[in-house]
Amino acid sequence: MIVVLTVIGLVSGGVLAIVYQWAEPKIAANQVRETDAAVFKVVPGTKSYNTVAKDGLTYFECLDESGGKLGTAILCQGNGYQGVIKLIVGVNADFSKFTGMSILEQLETPGLGAKISEAVFQAQFNNLASRPPIEYVKGVAPSKPNEIQAITGATISSRSVVNIINKTIEEWLRVK
Amino acid sequence: MKKGLMFEFLKGLWDESPTFRQLLGMCPTLAVTTSIINGFSMGIATSFVLLCSSVIVSLLRSVIPKEVRIAAYVVIIAAFVTVADLYLKANFAGISKALGPFVPLIVVNCIILGRAEAFASKNGIVPAFVDGLGMGLGFTIALTVIGAIREVLGSGMLGEPWVIMILPSGAFITLGLLIALMNVIKDKTRARPAPACPLACPGCSPGGVS
Amino acid sequence: MDLVLIFISAAIVNNFVLSYFLGICPFLGVSNKLDKALSMGAATTFVLVLSAAVTWLINNLLLIPNNLPFLQYVSFIIVIASLVQFVEMFMRKFTPPLYRSLGIYLPLITTNCAILGLALLSALRNYNFSQSVVFGLAAGVGFTLALCIMAGIREELDLAPIPEPFKGAPITLIVAGLLALAFMGFAGLISG
Repeated sequence: MIVVLTVIGLVSGGVLAIVYQWAEPKIAANQVRETDAAVFKVVPGTKSYNTVAKDGLTYFECLDESGGKLGTAILCQGNGYQGVIKLIVGVNADFSKFTGMSILEQLETPGLGAKISEAVFQAQFNNLASRPPIEYVKGVAPSKPNEIQAITGATISSRSVVNIINKTIEEWLRVK
Repeated sequence: MKKGLMFEFLKGLWDESPTFRQLLGMCPTLAVTTSIINGFSMGIATSFVLLCSSVIVSLLRSVIPKEVRIAAYVVIIAAFVTVADLYLKANFAGISKALGPFVPLIVVNCIILGRAEAFASKNGIVPAFVDGLGMGLGFTIALTVIGAIREVLGSGMLGEPWVIMILPSGAFITLGLLIALMNVIKDKTRARPAPACPLACPGCSPGGVS
Repeated sequence: MDLVLIFISAAIVNNFVLSYFLGICPFLGVSNKLDKALSMGAATTFVLVLSAAVTWLINNLLLIPNNLPFLQYVSFIIVIASLVQFVEMFMRKFTPPLYRSLGIYLPLITTNCAILGLALLSALRNYNFSQSVVFGLAAGVGFTLALCIMAGIREELDLAPIPEPFKGAPITLIVAGLLALAFMGFAGLISG
């Protein structure tokens, strides 16, 4: 009885170890590709980057082809309306402007809050001023360089994104 | 014998549809049918595990002692699920992400344990394979159909999007209506949730879903 | 504070049954009588808390340090199956009436996706030990809540003239859909 179970256990374990050997490099490569895509999107022109993990923050120092500093891509996360929102935001080399934003994971309401993943909303973060902290307006077009327009019917999701970014930028400015 | 095999295969597609008649595997059915491709992929992944574990269980049925059979089945199933999960993560990362934790949850999908206990452990390899094929196909078809309904209505391909379809509510309601429809088609006899436990532990009234 | 958030989130806002679709099979099967629902919920919560603790230990003390993440599913399910077996023996000896009333649904807890789902989600979110256990407790409470609300509704529903094809699973699912919709109202509770 025990023998049979042990044999099954060992054989399963062995088979899994082999499959894992095969799969692991591919899975790692997939993850690198994903991070690459996100970083290249929010800091356009990046050719390579250094990953820094410090004090709970993860960010990527982006370099162009000659190794010059282009900007930084920072991973941010926080509570949205219906769950955790994970996003990545890019700032330029002198931290004065955002170069882009991309939502990585969200569980917001489809058709409403989920629109934060749409290109239209994310495009607002290109060339957005990062100082003073960004704000959002409802129903009207933004009038200040650090303002974005919240999605109609999805104020809380939009506000969450703004808050998450502001909070993470504050932390990052202290930590870097 | 050929008629017997054909019957074993076909029953999973309609008469004993795991989703609409036996009401097994409800969790993934509701969770991943937000789109056609998700429903279909989950069906395929589950079918893979079902086929492999049914065959192995049938192969080893005379070797596994009765007292520990559930533990043994479960280890075998979990191993194949791990293989499927690793394969998806490696080659279909997007789908793996979309299906999320429901790929590993195939381990506790009552269809697989149910078929192992009720059929594969009592039949030869070929019938077990064919039974697994039919059940797996039936499950895949069910998931794909539900995924299609939810995706088409939810994304507004036919007019205004019914967002509720993508939400959990829509899943429950769609499935409920489809089962009712099945009941109507099948002479108004109702599909009961399987209280029949595939584990059939000694001391319990024997269960088994078939 | 963080633990309270996890609790409210798992029990109400992201209720395991109505939002994550974990634990549907017992939800459909056991929710027709309030007392059965309550005992099932209690037993499941007990297993949830225990398995949250044990799977966390196995994952963080054994699998991760030895670089064996691929053994997660196999080891978790073995833990869960053993725990349920242990709970069964415990109940048969110390609470026989409860044991008898649950009957065949007790071993069914093993295949309750909520248990394995909880272990996996906990590992995915890198919870520490206390977060894991609170998560398990919250999931159990939420599961019991959903089950009992459903049982209350179904007991009333039994007296209503439901068309034959809808009796049983279909009407339960549709009611669950409405319940899920109602629970969405809790969504803004923990927003940032």
